Amino acid sequence: MNVRIGYLYPDLMNIYGDRGNVLTLVQRCRWRGIAVEVDELGLGDPVPPGRHDIFFMGGGQDREQVMVCGDLLEVKGEAIKREIDGGAAALVICGAYQLFGRYYRPFEGEELPGIGVFDAHTVAGKKRCIGNVVAKSALGGRSGLLVGFENHSGKTFLGDGCTPLGRVTVGYGNNAEDRTEGAIFKGAVGTYLHGSLLPKNPGIADFLIEKALSRRGHLTSIRRLDDTLELKAQEAAIARARKTH
Amino acid sequence: MRFGGGSTLPGRVARKLSSHFVPDMVQSLPLGCALVTGTNGKTTTATLLAELLDRAGMTPVHNRTGANLMAGIASALIRESDLRGRPAGLIGVFEVDEAALPSAAAETSPRLVLVNNLFRDQLDRYGELDTLAAKMKKAIAAMDRSTIVVLNADDPLVASIGDGLEQRVLYYGIGETRQANRTAQHAADSIHCASCGAPLTYEYYLFGHMGRYSCDNCGWSRPEPIVSADDIEMSGMESTLCTLKYPGGGNRIRIPLPGLYNVYNVLAATTAGFALNVSIETAMSGIEGFKAAFGRVERVEADGRQVLMVLAKNPAGCNEVIRTLTSEPGRRDVLLALNDNIADGRDVSWIWDVDFEMLNGKLDKVVCSGVRAWDMALRLKYAGLEELTLTVEPELESALDGALALTSPGQTLHIVPTYTAMLDLRKIMSERGLVTPFWEDR
Ligand SMILES: [Zn+2]
Repeated sequence: MNVRIGYLYPDLMNIYGDRGNVLTLVQRCRWRGIAVEVDELGLGDPVPPGRHDIFFMGGGQDREQVMVCGDLLEVKGEAIKREIDGGAAALVICGAYQLFGRYYRPFEGEELPGIGVFDAHTVAGKKRCIGNVVAKSALGGRSGLLVGFENHSGKTFLGDGCTPLGRVTVGYGNNAEDRTEGAIFKGAVGTYLHGSLLPKNPGIADFLIEKALSRRGHLTSIRRLDDTLELKAQEAAIARARKTH
Repeated sequence: MRFGGGSTLPGRVARKLSSHFVPDMVQSLPLGCALVTGTNGKTTTATLLAELLDRAGMTPVHNRTGANLMAGIASALIRESDLRGRPAGLIGVFEVDEAALPSAAAETSPRLVLVNNLFRDQLDRYGELDTLAAKMKKAIAAMDRSTIVVLNADDPLVASIGDGLEQRVLYYGIGETRQANRTAQHAADSIHCASCGAPLTYEYYLFGHMGRYSCDNCGWSRPEPIVSADDIEMSGMESTLCTLKYPGGGNRIRIPLPGLYNVYNVLAATTAGFALNVSIETAMSGIEGFKAAFGRVERVEADGRQVLMVLAKNPAGCNEVIRTLTSEPGRRDVLLALNDNIADGRDVSWIWDVDFEMLNGKLDKVVCSGVRAWDMALRLKYAGLEELTLTVEPELESALDGALALTSPGQTLHIVPTYTAMLDLRKIMSERGLVTPFWEDR
């Protein structure tokens, strides 16, 4: 068994410890004896058909986000959509989540088009949503919960073509209005929870790995790992989130 | 007048009494003031600069206890003032948060402003680095034409602040490649040319995004420093040897502080000192006799063990601490203390940008502590570190006792805390009489 990860723009979109997510995917594959390769896909690099089982893209500063937006639209967007339609998994965070929606509408100027993996759009918001987040989620593993940290001013609204990743119990989530957080479409997960989401939320990591393997024709569910430390960290972070809000 | 160490309360009261308080007090300092800012090393740099000015007979007033906002400046001025309310010192040395530079500049009309570095640190408070650098540049450009601007040439974000300024700009930097890497660390921010926006090309990196860089697109490049350090030799956690070069000469000196980050702090303070008329002899003896600023590097003895505490508050700084920690052979006993209070940054995701993988084969017994002890332990698990005994104890005092018990007598326990964890650990140690309370320092 093997898994190939396409790490999109690692040098540009890496602002909040996002590398931890890729590290978690790699280690959780290795601990199960699944061979794993990580390809870095930078500006101008094409997305070869059928090569990558999981795409990952993190958040960046405004300038990086604009540079990456052009490359997604011109070089990689269509190919990534095709791969996700064909069963590839993806995790995209914060700015990347916005770019994987239909468009971003700033206060002034033209709409920034997205690649439309998610039936979602984002509008600029006045208030910055910052802080710990706790959400109930089907991908929450044994606790049924996700925990992370958000830092965004864009407000994302979902259409009917995708489902929310979770329902916020602490924090703001997609738009600080409807209590939804993130989006799922097929094997693709978008979210505002950065702060290295996967280490403390192994349920999402294993969802992505299972999707990747089933794309390769391995339909059995993957072996459970000893997640004592992961769940202790999740529990402690949830308690902290409830206390600091 | 004297108040407790680090207290900003008198400053807040005075600022309420009169909005002219800080400007009036600073106006009455005969030699004006210097503002020291930058993400990492503010306290060490400002303390060393104050030391150099003190040795040069300029009696500095320094907000030295890390209370680095305007209230802290006001408190320092009150604490050091005579009975008629005039500052007793001749010159002010004020460390200022990066984001507070514009308001501090407006209130103090500084004679010198120093920017040491800009790293990603607590973005939840400051927003983005580009924006921050632009705001700082605007604030500096608005200062009096006679203000001296001291900038780190190796940090492109900081160096770009000097472009096109009307003021006199002095750059410092590290001029050698022995400590350099060809590739960036994971903590390095992607940095773009301030003139044209194209990604910068690096000939080499020193740490984080510090290094020798240029823009292939428009030709902008690292400015030539006027004060530089060459032939750097690291001596573990103890000291660093280097050749300090300045116009007209150079000296081989021993800096009694570890790591490249402290070489930058020394270069920063020395360049500012020269600009404020400190002589070369005074500067050299001041550097060699320097005792680290409170809490940044602290050595004490406890229960027959050496305890060495080094602050780590963001990815670039933490990588440098780890690099220093691993620069000598052998395995280390370490207490890592991670808090997420406002002063530490609420978001602890930065630990995933630190290359803890460098510690593979270098650790023996490790205790993780602080509010986010479990996050820290999880980070080490995913770093794939082998052969270490890992204990998790969120409560700091129990963690310290546990870590001391795990450390063999005569051995060193290395403590790497975030800011508020450092304050708490220091409090515990001072209650045990191991360190002096910081208001009695020096
Ligand atoms: Zn350029």
